[in-house]
Amino acid sequence: MADDDAARLYQAFVSQDPATAISVIEQARDGGMDQGALFDTLFAPAMALLGGAWASGAIDEYTFTQASVVAEQITSFATPPATAQDTGITVLVGSMHRDHHTIDKDIIAAALKDAGHRVIDLGADVRPSEFLERAEETGARIVLVSAQMMATARAVARVREMFAAAGRDDMLLLVSGGPFAADPALAREVGANGVARGAESALKLVARIARDRLGAGERP
Amino acid sequence: MTGRSQQVRLAEGLARQGHVAPAVNACYQALRIDESDPFVHCLLAELMLSGDFYDEAISAASRAIELDPECAPAYLALGLAYDRRGGMWDRSILVWHELAEVVPDLVTAHVQLGEAFAAAAFEEEAIDAWRRALELDPSEARAMYNLAVAALKREGMATALPGFRKAGELDPSQDDLFFSLAGVYDDGEEAPDPADVPPDRKSRIAAAYGLAFEEDYFAAAELIRLILDEDADDAEALGLASYLYLKQEAANEAMACALRALTISTRTPTAVYCLGVAFARRQGLARHAARVFSALAKAVPDEPMPHVLLAESLLALQRFSAARESYLTAVALDPACVRARFGLAAVLFTEGRHAEADWEIRRAAYHDTRRQGLFWALYDEYAEGRS
Amino acid sequence: MPTRRKGPRDRRSAAPRTPAEAAPATEAASADDRPDGAAAPDTPVPGGPAAQSEGIAADLEPLADHGADAPGTPAPADALPAEEPTPAAEPAPAPGRAPRRNALFPLGVNHYPLDAETSGWDDWYAADPEADFAAFAEARLTLVRVFLSWKSLEPQVGQYADAAEDRLQELVEAARRHKLQLIVCFFADDRLAEMLDVPWGRKRDPHTDPYLLQRQTALIQRVVNRYRAEPAIFGWDLANEAFCTGFTSADDLAAWAETMRDAVREVDPDRPVLLSVDPETLFRHTGVDARAALGPSEIAVSHVTAPYRAYAAEGPLTSGPSTYLDSFLLRSASGGVPVLLDDVGVHSLDHSHAEESAAVRTALYSGLMNRAAGVLLRRWRDLDTERREPYFRDPFEVLVGVRDIDDEPKPVMSEVASFARVAARIDLRRYTLVQERTAVLLPAERFEPLPNLASLYDPRACLQAYIAAKEAHVPVTVVHEGDSLDPYSVIVVPSAFSLEDSTWERLSAWVQGGGSLLLSYGGGDAPDIVRELFGVEFLGDGGARATLSCRIAQPDVLGHLTSFDARLDVPSFALLGQAGATVVATDATGSPLLTLNQAGQGRAVLCAAPLERALAQGDPWAPPGAVTALLRTVYAAVASAAGCGAPVACDAPGVELGLFAGEGEDILVLLNHEPATVDVGLVFDRAVTAVADVRGGQPVVVGSTDLAVPLAANGALALRLSYG
Repeated sequence: MADDDAARLYQAFVSQDPATAISVIEQARDGGMDQGALFDTLFAPAMALLGGAWASGAIDEYTFTQASVVAEQITSFATPPATAQDTGITVLVGSMHRDHHTIDKDIIAAALKDAGHRVIDLGADVRPSEFLERAEETGARIVLVSAQMMATARAVARVREMFAAAGRDDMLLLVSGGPFAADPALAREVGANGVARGAESALKLVARIARDRLGAGERP
Repeated sequence: MTGRSQQVRLAEGLARQGHVAPAVNACYQALRIDESDPFVHCLLAELMLSGDFYDEAISAASRAIELDPECAPAYLALGLAYDRRGGMWDRSILVWHELAEVVPDLVTAHVQLGEAFAAAAFEEEAIDAWRRALELDPSEARAMYNLAVAALKREGMATALPGFRKAGELDPSQDDLFFSLAGVYDDGEEAPDPADVPPDRKSRIAAAYGLAFEEDYFAAAELIRLILDEDADDAEALGLASYLYLKQEAANEAMACALRALTISTRTPTAVYCLGVAFARRQGLARHAARVFSALAKAVPDEPMPHVLLAESLLALQRFSAARESYLTAVALDPACVRARFGLAAVLFTEGRHAEADWEIRRAAYHDTRRQGLFWALYDEYAEGRS
Repeated sequence: MPTRRKGPRDRRSAAPRTPAEAAPATEAASADDRPDGAAAPDTPVPGGPAAQSEGIAADLEPLADHGADAPGTPAPADALPAEEPTPAAEPAPAPGRAPRRNALFPLGVNHYPLDAETSGWDDWYAADPEADFAAFAEARLTLVRVFLSWKSLEPQVGQYADAAEDRLQELVEAARRHKLQLIVCFFADDRLAEMLDVPWGRKRDPHTDPYLLQRQTALIQRVVNRYRAEPAIFGWDLANEAFCTGFTSADDLAAWAETMRDAVREVDPDRPVLLSVDPETLFRHTGVDARAALGPSEIAVSHVTAPYRAYAAEGPLTSGPSTYLDSFLLRSASGGVPVLLDDVGVHSLDHSHAEESAAVRTALYSGLMNRAAGVLLRRWRDLDTERREPYFRDPFEVLVGVRDIDDEPKPVMSEVASFARVAARIDLRRYTLVQERTAVLLPAERFEPLPNLASLYDPRACLQAYIAAKEAHVPVTVVHEGDSLDPYSVIVVPSAFSLEDSTWERLSAWVQGGGSLLLSYGGGDAPDIVRELFGVEFLGDGGARATLSCRIAQPDVLGHLTSFDARLDVPSFALLGQAGATVVATDATGSPLLTLNQAGQGRAVLCAAPLERALAQGDPWAPPGAVTALLRTVYAAVASAAGCGAPVACDAPGVELGLFAGEGEDILVLLNHEPATVDVGLVFDRAVTAVADVRGGQPVVVGSTDLAVPLAANGALALRLSYG
């Protein structure tokens, strides 16, 4: 069946018929084929047929080029999602008050966004009260505070205190930065729930939180 | 102005041939004759730099500049020595500024100036310097890599990745991989005229590779057509056809040819490579690219570039630690792989390991300037000006 | 945590006890510093800090090498001050009660006179020392180095300032109160406090001017005379490295040191007199050979400086040769006397706190595992300086301390505390390091001036050889070319350009007498003796190669070697003809690469290429794995055959082992030189019945010769091993 679809898709390419090509893909999708599988099971075999036709001389150079243009037009139908789907998880990100280091925070924030999380970047030199205000405002339950100096790293405890004072013990506080990477005890001292040792680590932490929370039927 | 003495020319000749110890000896002999010859100090600086003896290089280059403030190659040696020695960014910035003034069209001076600025945390100035470098030479890969790293630091990997890819395409090492996979090496001979190629498959494919190597893609394509007309299932010819399309920015045609080649024979590494490159250029196909490059890396484990390409596709998937491992493999296979060094630096930045990342960038500069043979170009120019 | 291994095929088999039950920590960051650190063996004793400090007096002991560096050299007991008990006379701490410090491995710190760049020279130790000294004691330190200010003490010729002397007195009293001991450094340049800049000096050179030397002598004698009976003074330090860099000749330095040492000795014949320079780093910076000046010192000093690191290991701090540099310099500084590992710490704020911690942890454990007589940390508190975030380099090496400018401890501080706890539990009177019978030879040509490039290449090549031996887990040290070879069974001569004729003769006689020589060709001509010693005909230097090819002719003769082709710029390749030696490996075309010759009672292994130098001149952070494997395999095989191989088989090359042998039980210290977690497989030559973290916790029953130990990135671990 897939072979037939690939042949039909190939035929649409050489006929320079993008509408039919789209229709072939939609039918396959309607038939239950996953978006992520379309490329391998349909598009790539059709392209192989196209290459074979060009090699054997069944189609000429001009047709080959035009067919490739059609393929280009409908590629987005067949490729896996280019961006991650919205996870629905909101993460507040910011550098601690009096800390102007932003590189690590920016890289982590971008990685979280790229993974489909809703990232609200509060920037550098963020006061603890601001984390709380924005958490209340956005409904975020995950806050990632970056600190690169010992003094500012210790001061992250004030963020936890601020949440506690507002009765927000449910807030998950993640921390990142050299002092926390060096001394995991420091993260516990400031009341953090986890240490992000870079972008990938942050992604894993948030994914785990999402899994645990979703598993427990909570809103992440 | 005077030319170089015979003793200096002897030292120079030895240095050019890489005979470091005799060259150093010859320099010292020359200094005994004339201590105030900037050429000798300049040569000594280069020789010391080639052995990573930074303090000695700094001392010799400084003396050369003291003797002649127009001695461009000495500025190059001095700047590189400061950069590699570390902890001397303020002086390094001054030196690269000076060199850019002495030789205004020297792209590397601007690239290095940018790196010195970046190391001293003057990001804006660094970006300006790299942009100036690209204005002077749009194909300056290292400036592009640096801009990609700067983008990473500000906006994360997704913004930086296209920069890395673009820089990679400017970097000739990727094409080298294709020809290496094909078993084609530069023998120094010109590719034949297509009309003179004997009408057999072996001669045609060899000539087609030669023409592709010389970037005569149309002539190469004609020969490929002739091969395919006789055997449409020639996987190797299809692999080369795919490459030719890639070089002409025709990614779909390239993909079609590569896929057809692999349908005929999965053991066509050139087609695997082309397919990976075609996938890497498409949004959403990073996972496919990773799969293909992973297979390629396994097929040719001693080639550094497949590991680099795999790492780049892993970056797109945000699998940074896996990318780090691939980059490390590439660097172990070829410590001079500038692309892998910058990629590794990018990964280290994502892990907050800034000092190590900066070091990788410094190592990239080290290998890149060596590869270019810049010192000798400046030296010859300087010698010409003095004669 | 250590886990038991059932056998080679079951490395991850479950241990009868859970790892958590076994010991408090295996992670690099010590768990017993954490709030939840389980079973911390040395939790505060009843009575709190004051009561704890009372226990310090018993731990106070002078610096002493725990076992001579070179086998056969006299024990340094004669260096001990008379009033202190000899180590043998003091009973070992009772089992179960944790000592606060290691009596034979003291920790200390440099206490600089100024804490802020904005301070003036007359702020010299102006702050009340009480809080700092209390903190030193609390941190389990024993030694504190203070730096005299000549300018403050003698503002006018022959007139000493009461106020400055009072400040010195306050320092001494604070040390006494807190059971600490001072190392008093007379002439130091910290580039900030203008300590040497006497206004009446009229720009005379304090290194050579006879009048100033006379005044320096008078100052020394005044201070020493005042404190000659003071128990809070450990010893006298003539000068720091910054001062010594001002000397332009070895003779001047030796003459100055002799004058000052004599001045001390006239008044105080007992206490150790130091000259705080590392001869290797000083020579590198200034070209001045300090060995003659250091000759009569009771205690030597080793010290990684920022420029030396840039020269020898320019790269990441927590991997590659960087992590071996401290112990390499420590080993090369010894010359048979105890060595104080000085100025431990990082040199700039480039590094994250994690990197700082890992670097300091590595240096501390390296010191312990390589016979340091003690450790001095670079600085207590960061210098408050102009803020240039995020990066600021530290050209004067005064910036980075273990506490920040607000006096808050940095993570590196907990590393120090954690290490102090571990070190305190290793009683060096009961446990001694396995003797080093393998030595890397640093050629005399290293001290040749330019244009002889050997002085630049050799230390790097020796460092690579040292690393290869460490990766082979062979107990190894460093000797200089003129040193006696007798204490050693294996000598490695890595890529030397030339050796002195007398050295060739000594090596030949030593091999004939049973020694094992491992020499890699360094280029140039070879002396005639090579034929006899190595059983090969030297046919010339084949020149540079960009690829090193190795084909194994005789498998398993020098360990389990495999053929390879590796991209490595090899500067020379000796063309050899066979003249009796066994050709173990060749290049791709059959030219011998590795040969083994039985010469007299000994063995001589020749490598036709300067592999150690090639590795050093390539990228030491990305060396070809096949080449490093070749080196460590050959080193291991030669050392094993000579009866001085790895005391414990270990499958992780990046993990350094230090086996402290005791009676009935041993202590094994492991240090991971890699920035990645590693599972270490250990095989002992006898069954280990139980293993425990030295800090306490329940032992894990093993009952096997095999043991698997996970080790964190740049982590360290000390295990107490019991045998059946």
